[in-house]
Amino acid sequence: MTAIALPAVRTKRRRSRRLPVSARIAAGVIGLVVVAVLLAPVLAPHNPTQGQLGERLAGIGTAGHLLGTDGQGRDILSRLLYGGRLSLLSGLIPVLVAAVIGTLLGLLAGLGNRFTNGAVMRTLDVFYAFPAVLLAIAIAAALGSGASNAIVALSVILIPPIARIAETETARLRGADFMEAARASGARTSSIAIRQVLPNIAPAIVVYCTALIGLCIVYSAGLSYLGLGIAPPAPEWGVMISDLQQYTFTKPELLLMPALAILVASVAFNVLGDGLGSYFNVRQEVR
Amino acid sequence: MTLYLLKRLGSAIPILIGVSIVVFITIKIIPGDPVASLLGPTSSPQARAELTARLGLDQPLPIQYLSWGAHLFQGDLGDSIAKHVPVLSLVLDAFGNTLVLATFAAVVAFVLGILLGGVSALRRGRVSAAISNAISLFSISVPQYSIGLLLIIYLATGAGLFPTAGMYDPINGGGWGDLFLHLVLPGVTAALVPAGIIARMFRSCVIDVMSMDFIDAMRSRGLSELRILKHAFHNTLPTLMTIAGLQLGYLLGGVIFVETVFSWPGLGLLVYQSITQRDLPVIQAGVIVSALAFVVINVVVDVLQAAIDPRVRA
Repeated sequence: MTAIALPAVRTKRRRSRRLPVSARIAAGVIGLVVVAVLLAPVLAPHNPTQGQLGERLAGIGTAGHLLGTDGQGRDILSRLLYGGRLSLLSGLIPVLVAAVIGTLLGLLAGLGNRFTNGAVMRTLDVFYAFPAVLLAIAIAAALGSGASNAIVALSVILIPPIARIAETETARLRGADFMEAARASGARTSSIAIRQVLPNIAPAIVVYCTALIGLCIVYSAGLSYLGLGIAPPAPEWGVMISDLQQYTFTKPELLLMPALAILVASVAFNVLGDGLGSYFNVRQEVR
Repeated sequence: MTLYLLKRLGSAIPILIGVSIVVFITIKIIPGDPVASLLGPTSSPQARAELTARLGLDQPLPIQYLSWGAHLFQGDLGDSIAKHVPVLSLVLDAFGNTLVLATFAAVVAFVLGILLGGVSALRRGRVSAAISNAISLFSISVPQYSIGLLLIIYLATGAGLFPTAGMYDPINGGGWGDLFLHLVLPGVTAALVPAGIIARMFRSCVIDVMSMDFIDAMRSRGLSELRILKHAFHNTLPTLMTIAGLQLGYLLGGVIFVETVFSWPGLGLLVYQSITQRDLPVIQAGVIVSALAFVVINVVVDVLQAAIDPRVRA
């Protein structure tokens, strides 16, 4: 008897064939930035936290200080490279934490009975009543400044939107035939959630979270800028902006450097999120 | 309609109770013993126990919440630690200024967002659409604090066009013209992110409406493109109103960076100053007031929507 090659059954969304060019460029930019900050010890020409007061506020293109120095004579390029580690991580970690918790809550609400769904979703509604940035600031201020507290605060405000997307996507699958089949074959709800639902809702969550990383980089640098996140003298892009702000009127070009770094990282993640959205054919959820 | 209004108001109450619980929790997560920090490290255990009892901190948490909530309901949000005045008056004064800035920014964002979103929906596949897509994507990604600083550098100090800080000129300021000049830079900075969001939402809304059957029907009857667009625009209005309400609410709480950069005397700047002084009652009151405003705006938007669109009332 010859085996018949059955085509794999796919209920997935139709995929457009390729990732858009813009998204590939964005992925390349993100890759470059990641490599650069990982190689900071090799690439950075100076110590990021020790400056030479004799060389303070050197302009861009000064010999030995390609991007100039700040008010304490610290090399801006070196601070950007080392600072990128903290800035990218504090953009990434809250999104990862929120993605795990938010997806679990969304699955719970989407597969649970009316009571569970109501309890989870009405609780999330409360968080929607707060302006997100302000809530993060209030939490971070209450906990006290510090990188880990900023990460907690940002995770809290990112959970509700992710949970809402997971719930919507899960609810959409509720009546699907393969769900009926799984249920009829006696699968437990937890196994249905992991094997049937999760693979189907993952694209929407990944797309949304990619764009959220961009937003989170801006927010976490913003918290540091306000004095709530990573504390000076640690190199971090938001801290650098707040350090260099006092020279706005005398050396504005120095301030441009950390500002541009944040902008590039945030735009790149947003473009990548958009591209992944059209790749997976997910309707973009605008925040 | 009255019934809908009552129902909608009723549904806001559990949200507000939830909001108060969340804020109460942020008070309780403050590390350290408040009694010890009030009395100092050398205080006697007896004095500490007395103050704990007087502040009601020996009560169970739900009781503490209820007594805190009762004060809140009467508008008593405590006194500022740094300024020694009731928090509510501080916060309300600042909130008025924030409302001015947020409204101006919302108008700018709305006009900009509709233009960008409209172009990218109606000129799909052309260069103009690609450009407006790129602009809206860029504007939702910008960190407001750095764009604000750049505007100060190039338009305020460089070109000398606009004042860099404050709400009125301190010497011979006052009046609408002076206010407008001070509004331009912070207003545009604050408008960028919501403009991008409005553009992207409006774009998908226009694309949806333009693919409906009635558009084809009008086209087959030979209506001019302009007339068709007018009808299509009417169908986007309910969505636009929802977006506008959301974004105004977002601006009320989201202008903290802009206010800090431009020294605009609003809620955001007040919260920022309170962070540096660790004046937590002010921060909490700021959060409560803006959450309250957000809930009110949402109710107003829903009611207006029900008024223009009978389908919502059902």
